[in-house]
Formats: sequence, structure tokens, C-alpha cells
Amino acid sequence: MLRVLTRGLLAALLLLLISTSMNLFADPKENRKTASESSGATSSDSYMGLTGEELWSNNCLRCHNIRPPTMYGNAQWDVIVHHMRLRANITGQEQRAIVEFLKSSK
Amino acid sequence: MKRIRHYCLAAIIQGALLTVTSLVAHAEDATTDGFVTRKEYEELKAQMLAMKKELDALKKEGEAAQKQGSAENQALVQSHKEVAPPESSQGQTVADTHKQVATEAPPPVVEAEGSLLGTTKFLLAGWAEAMYEQRNGQVSTFSASLNPVFLWELTPKILFDGRLEIEPSGGGTNVNLVNAQISYLLNDYVALGVGEFFSPSNVFVERFEPQWINKLPDRPIGVYHGVLPNISVGAQVRGGFPIGPTRVDYALYVSNGPTLLTSDARTAGRLDFGSYTDNNDDKAVGGRVGFLPIPGVEVGYGFETSKPGFQGTTFADLRALLQSVDLEITRNSDLLKGRVNLFAQYAWSKVDHAVYDPDGSLGFGPLPLTAKRDGGYAEIAYRPTKLDIDFLRNLEMIFRWDHLSGDPSGLGDPSETRWTIGLDYWLSPSTVIKAAYEWDKPNGERNKNALLLQTAMGF
Repeated sequence: MLRVLTRGLLAALLLLLISTSMNLFADPKENRKTASESSGATSSDSYMGLTGEELWSNNCLRCHNIRPPTMYGNAQWDVIVHHMRLRANITGQEQRAIVEFLKSSK
Repeated sequence: MKRIRHYCLAAIIQGALLTVTSLVAHAEDATTDGFVTRKEYEELKAQMLAMKKELDALKKEGEAAQKQGSAENQALVQSHKEVAPPESSQGQTVADTHKQVATEAPPPVVEAEGSLLGTTKFLLAGWAEAMYEQRNGQVSTFSASLNPVFLWELTPKILFDGRLEIEPSGGGTNVNLVNAQISYLLNDYVALGVGEFFSPSNVFVERFEPQWINKLPDRPIGVYHGVLPNISVGAQVRGGFPIGPTRVDYALYVSNGPTLLTSDARTAGRLDFGSYTDNNDDKAVGGRVGFLPIPGVEVGYGFETSKPGFQGTTFADLRALLQSVDLEITRNSDLLKGRVNLFAQYAWSKVDHAVYDPDGSLGFGPLPLTAKRDGGYAEIAYRPTKLDIDFLRNLEMIFRWDHLSGDPSGLGDPSETRWTIGLDYWLSPSTVIKAAYEWDKPNGERNKNALLLQTAMGF
């Protein structure tokens, strides 16, 4: 039991080390502003120093391609981001900032 | 409005009376100066009296209407008192509800938009897929499935999400309920959920399993129907919170848990995650904690502990422990002219030592063993999103290694390791054509190499 737990924790530490090293080849500007330049739209709300657009881009792209804000109506985005908040464990502030960005970008 | 009209009419009549009175005064004088005759004076007097009578009638009508309005108001106030007496807690709740509805109700324009067809808080999402598989030693086949996801946001805090899997099978159609969960947002950092949900300890199933998201046509064997559960039936609490510039996310759940297989030599000691009803009073407890040191990077640890044996059997007190670690990295790089995704997950399971078929009545025992199993995958994908040529920008290259150890008894399926390369072409952000070749060589068996072609569309 202890051996298995130790093995799991060691693996987690190894993954953390890899994740830190992966950041070396990344473009810092891209980390913070992913799609800002392309659309030009930004949200007035911000959270943890990130705008709604940056939160949208960073959180959604972690798993899948992002869909353009014009693809759904306002009421539909409300439902989708609510659902994604549960799946991706984003906070309430992030949810509101992302929804505000999506609605204001159309 | 009616009262105002009466007052205007009264004012006009009074004005007319003043005029008439003035004329009468002049008429009295007219007897001396000859302006008005006696006959004219009598006519004007008669008109004035008629107007006065009419004014009195209007006044009476106005007073009656006022009295009736007061009575109605009084009755309304009384009825409100009866519905929500101030001392009643139930009434207070109703009043609070009214207040809440008044606070939460969107403006009429928004409500009107929300009632339009296709823009209500009910959303049909999901994906469809079609696949061709040509695997060594098996008959090549086409397959297809429709996976509708039903999302219903009853209020900004309450959401139902459910998914079906509909696919042709044999001469008919299989319809499976994949998940059905009601969730409630307690605050910005905590959400509660009950029902049938994707197991939080298995991050692949929670995030990458839909075929318009999964970059390869098939799923990694180690974590999909392998060492970890895909679906749990129970309750969960989950959320995320910031710590300085970083973020932590979490999920904890209780569920029916897996079932321990004991009656077959090939599968003895294996955990069956496909049975969603419980086989004992013990409940599985599990969860996952993820850490995001920077945006686009997450490291996670998941676990589940349970008693998988049937109640009343010698296996009832055995404990099973599942653990997994995972890593997700997404990076846009100028240097590489595109986006890189790295996903990795590895899981271990262990069931306490037990003797299977202790008296040999099942024909394979006694078989003493501590059932251990492990499996996982690592996948890297690259898409040249920063190139100028559209065709190249829509291509994505994928490489995956995945592994699942053999059945714990050593008598069932052998361990299996696969290497897969794939090429995707994205027609839209959620529509993809995938082609992949898989090298699959189970230990001691002939290869099961496969050509896989798939189209998936998310909607």
C-alpha cells in the first residue's frame, strides 16, 4: 500500500518536472494572449490578471479546439459555459468573465 | 385615468359657469345698457342650471368610483395578508421566493430572446462519428454512432446533463445511457452533483473521450475500460480555486464502486466497472486533485478506494485501491510554428490478497493472488497553426503509446502495448477526418495491427 502510494507520488513529481521543462520552449506572449491579436475583442472583466478572452482560450484549448463566439447565441453560451465549468473545474469568476467575453465578441 | 377625465370635464364646466355668470352679470346690467334681453337671460339661466345638474351627477359618479377602488385595494391587501402573514415562516419563504424571482428575473427583452426557438436554456449538443477498422485477424468493418448530449439549465445554478450512445448493432440499434447528472453550483468554488457521472479519477474519460476531441480514432486501453472506472453512480463535490497566480481543481465522490470478479480463471481478481448497481453496503470513495502552475499546464492525482466483493462472501472485506497520475500540457510556440498538446496518464490498481475458488469447485482453484494491474498512455500532438497555408494549418499529427498489463490471474488476456501514429484534417473546429495506423502486439499472441479511419463531428 505504502509502496504503491510512494510510486504514485513519485510519478506525480516527475510529471510536474516535465510540465515545468515544457514551458521552456513556449512563447510567453502566447501563454498570456492567445487569440487577442486575431479578434481584437477583449473583455472588461479580468481574473487572476487574465481577461475573459484569455481565460476562454487557455481553458478551452487545453482539451479541444475553440469554437468561435458567433457559433452560438447568448443563451446557448450560458448553458455551454455552465456545463464546461463543471467539467473543467473553473471558478465562478472565470465562468462569468468567459461568458461576458463570448457575448461581447459577436 | 377615468378620474382625471372627470376632473378635466369638471374644470371645463366650471370655466363655462364662470363665463355664464359673467354674462349674467352683464345681462343684469344689460337691462340698463340694452346688451341682453330678458328672454336671452332666461335661456342662459336655464342652460346654467342644466350644467350645474350635470356637474353634480359627475361628482357623484366620481365619488362612487373612488369608493369602489378603495374597497378593492382593501380586499387586495387583505388577501396578501392571508397568503403571506408576516409571522408565518412559510409566508416568509414565499415572500423570499418572490423577492428572488424579482431579483433573478431577466429583463423582458432578454426573456423574449430566451423564449425563441433554439435560444432557450435547453441545448442539444454531442457528436456523431463514422469509422472504418481493418485489424489483423479480424473482419474489417464500418461502424457509426450518434451521441446526443442533453443540457438543461433550469436556473443559473442548476444544470442537468445527460448523454446517450446510439449505435447500430447486429440487426438492431443499441441505445445506452452514458451519464445523467443533476448539478448545483453552491458558490464560485464548489459545485455538487448527483446521478451517473464520468469518474473524476479518470481524467481521460472526463475530458478527452468524445471523438471530436479525442485526436485518434480509438481510445487508450489502459485507462478506457481498463484500470480505472469510466462512469460512477453516486454523488460528487467539485470545483476549483486560485492560489496566488496558480489554480487548484478538485473533485471528491462517493459511488457504488466496482465489482470483484471471482468465478472465472481468466478474470479472477479483476475489477468490473461495468456494473452500475452496488453489490454491498460499502461505498467507493474517490477523487482527483489537479494543479495548474501556469495556464495550459495541469498535473493531477486521482484515487478510488472501495470494497468490491459481494456482501456475505469471503471476498466481502477485501479492499481495492486505484490510483492515477496525469499530465496535460498545451503550448502555442512561435519556434515550432504551431500548437503542441501533450497528454499522459498512468494508473495502478490493487486488490488485497485473496484465494479464488478455494475449494476447487469452479475448476481452477485454489488460486491465491494479490490482484494488481496497471496501464496508461502518453500522447503528443502537433498542429502547425501559425503557418500561412490553410491546408497545412488544418493538419494535425499525433503519436501515442498506450499499455495495459495482463489479467491479474495470469490466465486471462496478456499484457498489451500499442504504438499509434495518426494524421487528422480539421474541416472545422469540431469536425475532423482521422487516419491512423496502430502497431498492436499482445504478449504471446499474433499482432493485431490495425488501419483506422474515422470522421467525427461535434455539435
